[in-house]
Amino acid sequence: MTTLALALGALLAVGCALYVALPFLREPAPADDRLGEPGPLERRALELAEERDRALAALKELEFDHRTGKISDDDYRELVGPLRRRVAEVLRSLELRAKSSEERVRAAG
Amino acid sequence: MIALSVAAALAVFLLYVSVAGGTPSIQPSQLQGRSGDVALVGTVTGQPNGDAHGAQGLRFRLRDVEGSTSIPVVYRGSVPDLFKPGREVRVEGRLRSGLFVAKRDSLRTKCPSKYTPAKKA
Amino acid sequence: MPELGRAALILCLGLAVYALAAGAYAAATRRRRLARSAQNALLAAFGASAAAAAVLLAALLRNDFSFKYVAEHTSLELPTPYTISAFWSGQEGSLLLWLLILTGFGAAAVALGRRAGWDLLAWVVPVLGLVTTFFAFMLVVVSSPFDTQLAPADGAGLNPSLQNPYMMIHPPFLYLGYVGLTIPFAFAMGALLARRTDELWIVTTRRWTLFAWTALGIGQLLGAHWAYVEVGWGGYYAWDPVENAALMPWLAATAFLHSVMIQEKRGMLKVWNMLLVVLAFCLALFGTFLTRSGIVSSIHSFTQSPLGPWFLGFICLVTAGSLALVISRLPILRAKTRMESLVSREATFLYNNLLLVALCLTILWGVAFPILSEAVRGEQITVSAPYYNFFLRIFGLPLLLLMGIGPLVAWRRASLRSLGRSFAWPAGIAVAVGLVLLALGAGSSWVGLVAYTFSAFVLGSIGYEFVRGTRARRALAGDSWPAAFAELIARNRRRYGGYVVHAAIVLLAIGVVGSSAYDKVREQKLRPGQTMAIGDYRLTYRALVNRQGPNATEYRALVDVRRGGSSLGTISSGKNEYRAEQQQSNEVGIRSDHLTGEDLFVITDQINTDQSVVFKVLVKPLVNLIWLSGFIFLAGSLIALWPSAAEQRRLAARYRELRALARA
Repeated sequence: MTTLALALGALLAVGCALYVALPFLREPAPADDRLGEPGPLERRALELAEERDRALAALKELEFDHRTGKISDDDYRELVGPLRRRVAEVLRSLELRAKSSEERVRAAG
Repeated sequence: MIALSVAAALAVFLLYVSVAGGTPSIQPSQLQGRSGDVALVGTVTGQPNGDAHGAQGLRFRLRDVEGSTSIPVVYRGSVPDLFKPGREVRVEGRLRSGLFVAKRDSLRTKCPSKYTPAKKA
Repeated sequence: MPELGRAALILCLGLAVYALAAGAYAAATRRRRLARSAQNALLAAFGASAAAAAVLLAALLRNDFSFKYVAEHTSLELPTPYTISAFWSGQEGSLLLWLLILTGFGAAAVALGRRAGWDLLAWVVPVLGLVTTFFAFMLVVVSSPFDTQLAPADGAGLNPSLQNPYMMIHPPFLYLGYVGLTIPFAFAMGALLARRTDELWIVTTRRWTLFAWTALGIGQLLGAHWAYVEVGWGGYYAWDPVENAALMPWLAATAFLHSVMIQEKRGMLKVWNMLLVVLAFCLALFGTFLTRSGIVSSIHSFTQSPLGPWFLGFICLVTAGSLALVISRLPILRAKTRMESLVSREATFLYNNLLLVALCLTILWGVAFPILSEAVRGEQITVSAPYYNFFLRIFGLPLLLLMGIGPLVAWRRASLRSLGRSFAWPAGIAVAVGLVLLALGAGSSWVGLVAYTFSAFVLGSIGYEFVRGTRARRALAGDSWPAAFAELIARNRRRYGGYVVHAAIVLLAIGVVGSSAYDKVREQKLRPGQTMAIGDYRLTYRALVNRQGPNATEYRALVDVRRGGSSLGTISSGKNEYRAEQQQSNEVGIRSDHLTGEDLFVITDQINTDQSVVFKVLVKPLVNLIWLSGFIFLAGSLIALWPSAAEQRRLAARYRELRALARA
């Protein structure tokens, strides 16, 4: 019994050790070992993307609430304008960013 | 605004607890001289006799969990399944001339096993 | 074989420590291969703990009494299902189950996160590694299931009251819940460590939280049902510390589920959400700790259990560490948006959160009070049902009302005009129901009447929502009613799944109120042939029988039940005397009325030598609604949990775009 336990235990340990060392075994000399992370540019872009999604979802929800009757016609008219403007605003900011990054790439390359 | 509301709620219950007061849980050795309602915790010792549903009630002795001071108890009401000599129990009531008179249906037993949940009467 | 188990646990500990140390180093210095290696360590840790679990399970099934654990919790005559459940019925085995589920969930979170390529994962790994290290350490050093001894002829067996199907599956469900809360916690801490302020951690862990919360809820219902049918005192919840131990994290998680919606919709409450997830996780740890240290019975018995101090230390470490982390990131977490109106859905969610957290803290205070008073005054002062019920009413009734108000109010701002119109039907229904109930005599308990009226309001408002939504869908697409209904739910799974869950909670509330505020109790000693009356039932004690069961002598009093002149059958209620364990257990007789949900609960309090029996009979109206609500709760959660292709696409697009933008 004990030899079986020993063998299985050794097998398990070796297997785990190999699996843990795998990334180093696969790439013993990688060109780039850096872990990517969002820089300030990416973070701002993500913030804008979330704001856009939020504004779009709010607009969709407003439409839904209006259709189901939770929001009256008057309230709807009052609220839909600012929301639509907000969505347009965020979409424009995102577009500007995309354009400016394109220009930067063209200028560099 | 958030902090204020939570604080107000906290204040309400702190007030309640201190005013309404919980019940002190004590052992037989600490019973000396106390007159109010307490929860007595101890180990059942000796042979219980009587009938918890009868006129005279069930009579048994409770001893300190880790000591020898014991006190006689008279109890009326439901008796939990696990009740027997050697079990740790909890019963509410008050001391009257050397006899602990228990409140009806207040007898509870502690579960013997460390991990299983406590049983109730 | 125990050596294999022990070795597997040591291996698991080593892998967890590596995941913690290497993972933290890799995340801090941004090393890709090391981070990957740390992730692999977490995956491997699952393999190691699975191996240990397999060893224990095999030993149990083999009845290998050389394992101390197997000898202490099983016996040769124990039926196989309970031999399997003995895995988690004891201290060491239950810790191993915790570790198994923890490493399993951790591995799943890593595997899924990896496929999506989240960079957040780099910091999540060390946090998961920390928690895994703690539990692995406990199993290796403090409380091992692989201790051996000279094998006795037979084991001690399982406590008879635990040999019940509900008690069998109650712990695993609770653990799925407790451990499940670790994942959102780890991602939240990971986000803080990575100095992120976006919602990635929320959208990634939303389903984990919902799953854990559901499991915790179901686990508690199972425990309550066990207490009702097996312990048999006529109730299902005694505000016992071990019961509260599961309720508190559930309440915190409920608050969290709601407040993350505010963060998703309006970008607010980031700090509050962080604090809530920390609270939920710490309470889950605290709950695990409460049920296995003797701390609440006495601060002195606490030190007698070896686990107590370690657990407490870990909880303090986690609480202090996470709070420090949140505080250090406060400047970047502060929101720029303000709440627009006190009458909006955000506001109702906020009120709901405050009430839930207040209730949770109240219960925590009630649980901790004896410990604190003993430390301060030298004697324990306990609070019991009156304290808890008082606060349950104060916080619970407004919560019930809010469940009805929330769905009717729109986000951002609701004009009083549209509010009035939305409220009309549900409020009307509520008032009508209230008046009818008053006429029927429900005024005997004003709390009950108010609760019923509020419940009617909530059910009315939920029903109204479904009707309005289906009608709008029909107007849009011209579907038939059933098709429109199904389409409505399919397109708004979160919202309508949530409504179903609310309906379940309301049913639970109705069941609880009915069986507590309107119940009847009667105690009487009967000789064979005598009758007692309770409510409109008449019970006649016919005879006392006994038979020799497989491990106990079973005494049963046969009681004939009649109501309004017709017979309702015979209830048998009595006691079992277990020969081996030398102990008695109550076997209550319950007659459930399927039409009204009412239970006739017959307890055989005492069997006397002259064949006379002291019966304690309870009539519990509507109690079966509680168990029914569990199924509806599960259904609602499943609807909300169900993956939505549209949502996946949207999220993938959001994070893919961002990468494309940055790379350019």
